[in-house]
Amino acid sequence: MTPPESNPQSVTTTLTDDARRVLVRVIQVAFPHPRFPDAPYERTAQRIIDAARESTWSWLQLTQGLRSLDDLASGSFVDADDEQAFALLRGIEQTDFFNLIRRLSVLNLYDDHEVWDLLGYEGPSFEKGGYLHRGFNDLDWLPEPRITEYDAEAEAAAKAGADAGTDTAGSAGQPGSTEQLGSPEQPPPERSPAATSRDAGNQPSAAETTMTEVTR
Amino acid sequence: MTTVDHGDDSPVVVIGSGAGGGTVAYELTKQGVPVVLLEAGPRLSPEDYVNDEWKAFNQMAWLDPRTTSGSFRLARDFPNLPAWTVKAVGGTTTHYSGATPRFKDYEFKTRSTYGPVDGTSLLDWPITLEELEPYYDRAEIKLGSTHRHGRPPLPANNNYKVLANGAERIGYRQYATGPYATNAEPYDGRPGSIQDGFNFQGDKNTSKWSINVREIPKALATGNLDLRPNSHAVQITTDASGRADGVLYIDPEGNLQRQRARVVSLAAGTIETPRLLLMSASPRFPDGLANSSGHVGRHYMRHTTGSVYARFDQPVHMYRGEAMAGIIGDEVRHDPDRGFASGYYLETIALGPAFLAAFADPGAWGPEFTKVLDSYENTAGLWIVGEDMPQETNRVTLDPTATDKHGLPVPHVHFDDHPNDVAMREHGYRQAEMLYDAVGATGAHRTPPYPSTHNLGTARMSARPEDGVVDSYGRAHDVPNLFVSDSSVFTTGAAANPLLTIVALATRQADFVLDELRKGNL
Repeated sequence: MTPPESNPQSVTTTLTDDARRVLVRVIQVAFPHPRFPDAPYERTAQRIIDAARESTWSWLQLTQGLRSLDDLASGSFVDADDEQAFALLRGIEQTDFFNLIRRLSVLNLYDDHEVWDLLGYEGPSFEKGGYLHRGFNDLDWLPEPRITEYDAEAEAAAKAGADAGTDTAGSAGQPGSTEQLGSPEQPPPERSPAATSRDAGNQPSAAETTMTEVTR
Repeated sequence: MTTVDHGDDSPVVVIGSGAGGGTVAYELTKQGVPVVLLEAGPRLSPEDYVNDEWKAFNQMAWLDPRTTSGSFRLARDFPNLPAWTVKAVGGTTTHYSGATPRFKDYEFKTRSTYGPVDGTSLLDWPITLEELEPYYDRAEIKLGSTHRHGRPPLPANNNYKVLANGAERIGYRQYATGPYATNAEPYDGRPGSIQDGFNFQGDKNTSKWSINVREIPKALATGNLDLRPNSHAVQITTDASGRADGVLYIDPEGNLQRQRARVVSLAAGTIETPRLLLMSASPRFPDGLANSSGHVGRHYMRHTTGSVYARFDQPVHMYRGEAMAGIIGDEVRHDPDRGFASGYYLETIALGPAFLAAFADPGAWGPEFTKVLDSYENTAGLWIVGEDMPQETNRVTLDPTATDKHGLPVPHVHFDDHPNDVAMREHGYRQAEMLYDAVGATGAHRTPPYPSTHNLGTARMSARPEDGVVDSYGRAHDVPNLFVSDSSVFTTGAAANPLLTIVALATRQADFVLDELRKGNL
């Protein structure tokens, strides 16, 4: 993106209310969270405005970029529907303008304490005595796992006892999963194709693994 | 605190107060040796530490400019932050997790065990596990590592419950809540953990061992330590015979000072240590101090890492409690059938929304990205940490085009992933996803490596002077009274978190220095 020399007044131009609304909308489209009200987005917009003011270049990027979004949206970016607005942002995601907003949104939106509450993050705990008595171990949908290190002999003895129908507690700790999968000597199985969703699109690994010599 | 005169040539001058330098300073002062400890950062107290990710980051991270190149993704996402280390008294022990596994026997013999691997500079260490074992014992006792020497294990937190159950169900057995250098119950004058979830931010409760809460107070109490925070070393000077005789540093007021030295211990971290050796070049040592071999700055390693964050339909609250008190060791073995040399650990990790957003997929936005954050409460996380392959061309050099605020050349970090690193990371991602699937994950997200907390190998140990920079005691092959005391000396990286091995090696080095001082050889 080149500096808009044709419009030098923009450096001192204050951001209009319309431009601020466009900025809030950009953040909402780029970082959509159905659970979030407007307030965290508005605070994030304000922080972006404050940060951009610290350099002429950033300020130019922001103000000129916001101005141009309405044109790109053929009238009003704020009135474009979610799909149109998202597609429009995809089209400009390589620009300095969008990267400025993206970077500062990530830094500020997720550092907002109301957002922490909405996401279920309780944050600072030291003054409250940590999480020791506030649920650090309250997960109850899985069995209590062993916490000590693996002791093959104890586990084998426990298993032998169980096989013989006697009640032998392993000294390696509490019993783990009720399932018995594989012997300790058996290497862990390779994963099979999974049915669950993967967001691995960001990973270069798929292409790069073709470089790897696999000597199976 | 004692004050040593700048012209006094009797002290050992230690550069850097992290795991290596702090250990050397403590062991020497305990035995009556005067030590000047130069630390580039401030002295923070536990009261200064904050339960806030970005505030703590800005309080303690080493943010002096660095430049990067190479195929590793950090060069694109965080070009000026290749490493996540700490600039404060205690160094990166302030930020480290607390995980303290030992190296395995084969990890000291990588060239012999793995054979030749194309494109690597693998080399056997000049020391064996057997030789280091007594020092591992001493290190674990100092740190109070859980599961060791009678120290009880930490309890299972929520993130561990998911990890351990998943591990068990896919056939792993080597899982536990440690060893972990954070007190489960009071030990060595420090309290048991209150599971506050902020040990990466210094641990206000001081349950986590760090140089700043243990070694520094004890060393100061001996009356033999002159601790100088905000003192940035810029050059090691040498005398006519080629021995180190002093250290130039910038004092808190910005003035250049020279402290004379009998012995110099260099422990500025794997990026700053080679930088300082290279900045100490002179007509006598034109390629930098201790660099006749040409190995200074080379073989930079950063561990093969990655994270998987898995979503469930029930709450996890991974952020509650000790972040890394969950370690799986089943993949730490050399088994080429997996398609790569060496092995890796899987360890619990938890980030708050601020850091998860910053590091989950740098540069990403849109609904795929926000889905990761929307699931925050129901998310479990782990970190893959394995041995990466040393490569001669992965290297710290002085950037000829960039200078810092003192006008000194900025360190440049070049790193290319080796195909072995890529294959190991891919295997780790798959195993982690399978582990979480086994306990009902509804989805999982692969996170690329964070800025490196494990920085290794730029002044490596070698039996022969032509193969490395220092000998098995960390003594420079070229300079008899110059020691390197940090993880720069690692010949290869092993899979283990490096802290315990840094402390063990530095303890062994201090014993050697004391012995040589007594014999009049230093």
